[in-house]
This record gives sequence, structure tokens and C-alpha cells, in this order.
Amino acid sequence: MAADSTLIVLDSSQRKRSDRLGERGFLYVTLAATLVAVGVLVAIAVKVFDLAAPAISKFGVGFLWSQDWNAVTNRFGALDFIYGTAVSSLVALAIAAPISIAIALFLTELAPKWLRTPVGALVEVLSGIPSVVIGLWGILVLGPIVESQVEPFLNSFLGWIPLFSGRYSPVGLLPAILVLTIMITPIVSSISRELLSRVPKEQIEGALAIGATRWEMIRGVMLPYVGPGIIAALILGVGRAVGEAIAVTQVIGTTAGIRSSLFGPADTLASRIASQYQGAVSNLQVSSLAYLAAILLVLSLLFNLGAQLIVRRVERSRG
Amino acid sequence: MSTLPTSANGPDVPPIFHVDRRLKRRKIVNRLMEGVSTLAALLAVAVLVLLVGSVVVRGASAFNGAFFTQVASGDFLNPAGGGIAHAIVGSAVIVLLATLIAVPVGVLVAIYTSEFARPQVAGIVRLCLDVLNGIPSIVIGIFIFGLLVVGRGQAAWIASVALSVIMLPLIARSTQEVLTLVPLTLREAALGVGVAKWRMVIGIVIPASLGGIMTGVSLAIARVAGETAPILFTSSIAVNQISTDVSHALQTIPVLIFTYSESPEPADHAKAWGGAILLIGFVLFTSVLSRMLMSRMKRRLEGGARGELLGRVTGLLGLFRRPSA
Amino acid sequence: MKKRSFVLGAAIAALGALALSATAGAATTRKADDSLLGGGSSFVSPLVSQWINDYGTKAGVNITYGPIGSGAGIAAVTARTVDFGASDAPLTADQATACNGCVQIPWALSATSIAYNIPGVKNNLKITGDLVAKIYLGTITKWNDAAITALNPGVTLPDLDITPVYRSDGSGTSYNFTDYLSKVSTDFASAIGKTTQPPFKVGVGARGSAGVSGIVAKTSGSLTYVDVAFALKNKLFFFAVKNQAGKYTLPGIKQIVAAASTVTSVPADNALSIVDPPKTNVDAYPIGTFTWIITPKSSKKAVTLKKFILYAISPFGQKLGLPLVFAPLPKVVAVAASKTVAQITQG
Repeated sequence: MAADSTLIVLDSSQRKRSDRLGERGFLYVTLAATLVAVGVLVAIAVKVFDLAAPAISKFGVGFLWSQDWNAVTNRFGALDFIYGTAVSSLVALAIAAPISIAIALFLTELAPKWLRTPVGALVEVLSGIPSVVIGLWGILVLGPIVESQVEPFLNSFLGWIPLFSGRYSPVGLLPAILVLTIMITPIVSSISRELLSRVPKEQIEGALAIGATRWEMIRGVMLPYVGPGIIAALILGVGRAVGEAIAVTQVIGTTAGIRSSLFGPADTLASRIASQYQGAVSNLQVSSLAYLAAILLVLSLLFNLGAQLIVRRVERSRG
Repeated sequence: MSTLPTSANGPDVPPIFHVDRRLKRRKIVNRLMEGVSTLAALLAVAVLVLLVGSVVVRGASAFNGAFFTQVASGDFLNPAGGGIAHAIVGSAVIVLLATLIAVPVGVLVAIYTSEFARPQVAGIVRLCLDVLNGIPSIVIGIFIFGLLVVGRGQAAWIASVALSVIMLPLIARSTQEVLTLVPLTLREAALGVGVAKWRMVIGIVIPASLGGIMTGVSLAIARVAGETAPILFTSSIAVNQISTDVSHALQTIPVLIFTYSESPEPADHAKAWGGAILLIGFVLFTSVLSRMLMSRMKRRLEGGARGELLGRVTGLLGLFRRPSA
Repeated sequence: MKKRSFVLGAAIAALGALALSATAGAATTRKADDSLLGGGSSFVSPLVSQWINDYGTKAGVNITYGPIGSGAGIAAVTARTVDFGASDAPLTADQATACNGCVQIPWALSATSIAYNIPGVKNNLKITGDLVAKIYLGTITKWNDAAITALNPGVTLPDLDITPVYRSDGSGTSYNFTDYLSKVSTDFASAIGKTTQPPFKVGVGARGSAGVSGIVAKTSGSLTYVDVAFALKNKLFFFAVKNQAGKYTLPGIKQIVAAASTVTSVPADNALSIVDPPKTNVDAYPIGTFTWIITPKSSKKAVTLKKFILYAISPFGQKLGLPLVFAPLPKVVAVAASKTVAQITQG
């Protein structure tokens, strides 16, 4: 064992000197590593904003609500992509949230014991499936199903809403939403499951003992207990969806513009960067794409701090 | 689709006395909601199973000797045949190098925050790591592209650096968590006999938590093995041959899947599905491995190994002729 | 204990082996000048892949080419991250300046096909540039539009929405296509203009020639513009396009040669456009294009690079293009190209 050799010490004065040096050296090495880690974070922010600087000074904050994205006139704006990002992530979240909580409840309360471990492990593994694989499935399997089944079905029931009208297509917002839903559901369910399993047993048994049905117990005891945690999990999930470039770019149809229908194509911040960063026509376009990245960076920071804040507040209130 | 409320109006456990009719209604609501949750859960699980199933069914047909040993046919008119050996090797090389960069840094950061830093400083570092972990990988991609690729060209080692940035917070955070699991008694026993803190960390804390650290590392490896966005900018114009030379761009499984997924060519799709099986298989493998490592570490800390570590501490006591703590 | 030491030992041994093999790999593949790295146009990539297979093995040169799109190819050679870029759009004045001493050399000649996927309809329907412009501007939205059916008597076109598919990355094919549409439609010229990244308001974007072909192959009612080789390879149907002489022509070798015959002299920067050739070229296909290799004038790999380009523009290289519908370079262009090659110096 390597560890043994460090512990074999013969002379005590020698030991003390080497200990002092070692102590200091070790501290400095670990401190240096920590500075590297923090430095990387700072460097990312500095570099991205530095790359974006020409676009920031040219377009200012107006970039955020300009719909222009035109390499010919060399004018750029982010609104179309902010819209695409918001709609795809938020709708995905709206679908994933109840399903994730249902999976978590199923796994902690409703499923027979023998089923919990295998299904739980499955969900765990699925949360690790790379997004490019989900994108591959999205473009080759899901897309055609969406075009031939899902969109006609939605249209026949809800066609009077503009969201569910228009021509059916294997690529577009709807496939992107479904792909993102599939990405975030396992993540949120496995966190929620973890949280639900931490609800104190006395509270659960107490509620059941005074005659509450299982659903009343879940609604009255479990959900309030884990609510903030689940909200934090959802925030992290939507953060993941917002930043997802690859799976989205494979299925969304990468077209700027704001369309009323979910069947039509769109584009997101991350997807636009993935498809155009290497082949940008002008320096201003490179810089504008970096501006999109800067928006993503700020969003990810907000999501993270938001989730942290919720978790901390809960931890504090529970002592 | 279920519409469970995400929050409720506080613990409104109903009173015990009810008329029969109300009880019946409550029971029906209960059955209904249980059914809806179960249905939603089963539906979601079914979709997820369908996803994995269709990857396996489509990908399995791509597996043959050539798939693992040959590179892609470079012939535009005859794209069938050949394999993805270059991408398998490229992914392995890039991920291994990223691991070599990220593990030492990540573990040292964890040691600093859990053993040396003041609580406020540790809190700030932890926050920084969480923020770093939340940064979309495409943003890390353009950061590394701007920093290392421009003026130098793509190279596999640059992709490794990009992946190591993604791994770093994962490893550091998981190691931090694991280090806190090492029982205080072990630390106190060692420190109490005058063993220097750094010797205590290297000799006792790290060995005791090695299984847990490896768990974090293997999960981080699984996560970056499927990363596409950062590699797209740093190692995508790749040689179509098996190579381990990190000074050139190397093909990787995720970039290959991404490229082939958009192709109209069925032979390309087959290779993409095959690559997808490899990635999913790898995730499965690491997830099983990490579970094993973690439970072994917990067992060791709770059972025999703890005794063994304590034994080593008492061995030191003998050496220093001090009374037992 | 033992088990863990074994695992650790194995891990260290594996890493050591990897490091060794990495250095060994570095030693074998990094001889001074025998490799080339290029990237850009996906239009020309089928031909480049044939060149790599043929010349690479014969000359023992290890050539890597990434079909990352013309825009990315120009950006990459400008940033000197590749030994050569390739583009189907000549450098703009700004790009030429930014590239800081680059030369562009025409090395292949082909055409952009307008490929479509309309269920139950025969190959080689007729279309005009003006109608294609209207489709991409969103003013024609149905396949049974009177203007399209009028051109194709005897063909029953379905009442199907048109999905125009375009390149979302910076693309020389987009340039060639918009160059042509801007010539034949003033509406198009003012709304979009010629560019490698057209800001289309309708349709669906995809990456690379493979990407647009992929979408068209599985989307009924779609059409796109793509290198003929990709359309043929993927068995996509494509239009016969009306030229100035009023003839509907297909993108074949003969029609491309006819279009290129308009070139009688080559400017100093080798920029050439052969879209919408004059009436006198009766057989010409109107959306043809040269495609260029772009290299720094002063290159570390000058010797290898020059040999490869000279091979590509030689009859040996050009004849590999025929099955992919790349026509041989006209003599005047080949001469200009080889003169430019001579300007590349060791740096």
C-alpha cells in the first residue's frame, strides 16, 4: 500500500520538519487545484463575453428583442432563438414535471416492492443516456411517428388552437419538445424519488394512522415536504433543456422565426450556435453567436442560483 | 396525462369523523389518483423502454467483426461496409486523457474544501463548482474553441481539455460528498496521536473513500463519453484511420452518431445505431460498476474495513507510544 | 485490499500502455510533410473522398477532409486551423482580406440540383428559376399551384404543402443557388440576395449536403438544392430547370460543360460565376458552379499541397469526377489554376 510508506516515520524531529513542509506543500497543492477550478469558471465567463463584445457594443440590449438574423445585411438578434428556447424547454418541463413526480411516487409508494428496484435502476440508467443518442432516435424514429401519428391526432382534437395546426412535419418544435421531455424526465424523477424516500416515516405513518387515504397522505404530507426540492430539481432539469444543443439541433428544423404552430420549425440559442459557429460568414456573426452563448451562460447561472437558493432556504427552515 | 399538483395547501390531514358517503368519495379519489400516477409512470417507463429497445434492435444488426475492427469506408459511392473502430479508439483516448486531467484536480479541490478551507470559502468553491456544472456544454465548446483551437487547429487533446472541464465539477463535488462520509472517529484517532493532517488525509481519508471517489469518476466518465457539442468544435475534422495520436483530431462515437444521424444513407444509420448501443452499454456498465463501488465502500466503512483502518491508526499509536485515544 | 491494489495496478498499466501507444502513434504518423488537413464544402466532398482514396494511397499522403460546409472551410483556413479550405463560393472581399494572403484555386466543376420528394410523381419534372424563387420566398406553397402544373402538362401534382429545405450552415451550395435565383428573380435579389447563409423565412434548415438530402428523403412534399452527386447517390428526384434559351435541362456532364463554356478568361482572383448563362448556350444547365480550394500563399505544407492540387486538376484527378457528375475543368480554367498553384510557397 502506498499509504503505508507515508506513515512509516522513524525519527520524531525529522518527522516534524517533514510534516511542516508536507502540510504546507499539501495545502498549496490543493489550493492551487481549487484556484484552477474557480479560474476555469471565471475564464469561461471572460472569454465568452470577450468574444461577444463586438456584438454587444454594436447591438446592445436591443439584441435580445430583435428578430433579425441575417448574414447578408449583417444584422443579428436573439429573439427568435430565445422564443424557441423558452417554448421548447417550458413545454417540455410542463409535460415532464407531472410525469416525473408520478414516476417518483410510483417507485416510492405505489409499485409493488419487487418492481421498485428494477424500474428505479432503469430510470437511473436512462438519465445517463447521451443526448446525441436521444437525438438519433428523435430524428430517425420519433420524427416520422410525430408526423404520421402524433400531429394528426393532436390536430384532430385541438386543431382549432393555432398551436396544433399547420402542416405535419418530422422536424420542428414538437419533436424537439418531446426529445427534451425524454431527456429531463429521468433526471427529475430520480431526484424526486431520492427526495420522497427521505420523508420522515413518522409523518407518513402518522397521517395514515389518523385515517388519511394514501393519496391524502401523499398530497398532505409527502408533496409539501419535498415540494421545494422538486422545484429545485425541475429548475435544474429546465436548465439542462435550455442548454441542450445536439439533440435539439437534430430535430428542430433549425429555422429562425416565431410561428404560432408547434408543428413548424424553430431554433434555440444552443442549436443555432452548434449549427453556425464554425461557418459564420463575418466576425460580427461569430460575435453574435457568442452573444447567444453569453445569454445561455447567464441563464444557466440564474437557474443554478435559483435552485441553490430554494434548497438552502429549505435546509435552513428545517434546521 | 396526470396533473398532480406540485404543491399542496399544507398538511391538511382530514379529521377522523366522516359520514360514510364522504369516505367513499375520498376512497374513490384515492384510487383514481393512484391509478393516474401509476399509469403516467408506466407510460413514461414504456416510452423509455421503447427508446432503448429500438436502439438495440436497430443497432444489433450493425454489429459484426468489421464494425469493431475497421474504419468507415471512405468511398462516397459505396458507403456500406467498414466499421467505427477509429471512433471507438478516438473516444477511448480522448475520454481517458480527459480523466487523467480532471481526476487529480477534482480530488485535490475536494480535499481542499473539505479538509482545509474555512466553511465560507468551501461554500463559495462549492457554489462555483455547481455553476460550472450547470454551464451548457456548447458554451464550454466555444470557450475551448476560442482559447485553444483558433490559430492552432483541432486536436484530440483539446477535446480532452474541453471534456475535463465538464468532468471537473462532477468529480470534485462527488469526492466532497464522499469525504464527508469518512467517520470522524477515524480522523480524530489519527490526529489525536499527532499524525500530521496531510498524512492523515493521504493515509487514511483517501484510502477509506477510494471506492466512493471511483464511483464519482466512473459516473463522470459515463457522462462525458456521450458529450458531442464540445468535441464538434475541437475534434471533428478527423482522420479516417485508427490512431491514438492526440495532436490530431480523432473521430469519436458521439460525433459519428451526430453526423450519420443526419445522413440519408441507410448504411450510415446502421453505424450510428451501432455506436448508440456502445454508448448506452457503456452507461449501463459504469452505472452498475459505480453502484458496486459505492456499496463496497459503505460496507467497508461500516464493517471490516473500518476495523482495519482503526487497526492502522492503533498501529501508529504503538509506534508513538502514546495512550490510546 | 488485494483486489483493490489489483484494480489500481491494472488501471495504471492501462494508462501507461495508452501513453506509450500515443507516443508511438505520434512517432509514426507525424513525419514532416506527408499529411494534409482540409475542410469545407460538402458539395465537393464526394470528389475529394475519391481523390483521397486514389491519390492518398498512390502518393502515400495522408489526407483528411471534413465536409463542414464552405463557410466553415473559409473560417478554418482563415484561422489557419487547416492546411486548406474548400468552398463553392468565391471569397468575398472582406473574407479575402481576413484570410491574409490566401489564394483560391478552381479545382472542380459541377452543378446544384433542385431535388424533390413528391409521392407518386415522376423524375425530372420541369421548373423555372422564378418559380423556385417564389417557393423559397413563400409565395408558392402548394405543389398543385397553377404555375407549376402549367409547366408539367400530363402530370397530376398533389394538393400537398411544399416544404423548402435549406442549408443552415454556411454553404457554398447556398451561395450558388442564391446567386442563380438573384439573377432570375428581382424579388429574390432584394428579399434574400446571394449569400452562403440565406435568411429564408419558410422551410426547414439542415446541416451539410447530407443533412438536406436526409430531410428530403424522409419528408414528402419537400424540395432542396444539393450537389447532383448527392441527389443521384441518394436516389432523389430532381428538376429539369429552364435555361435562358428556354430549354429545360438536367444537371449532367454535357449541360455543365455547356454552361462552363461561357468562361473565356479567368480573373486574377479566379472568381467565376456560371449561373444563368446566356441564350447562346442552348444546352447549358443554369445552376452550375466551380468550386475552389483555398490555401495560404505561404504554407508549411507547400510541397505536399501543390502536388495534391496539381493532381486534382490534372486529367487523372478530373476523370474521377465523371461518375459523380463533376465535369472536367475547361482548359482556360485549368491553366489559370495551375498558374496559381505556382504562387504557393514554402513558409
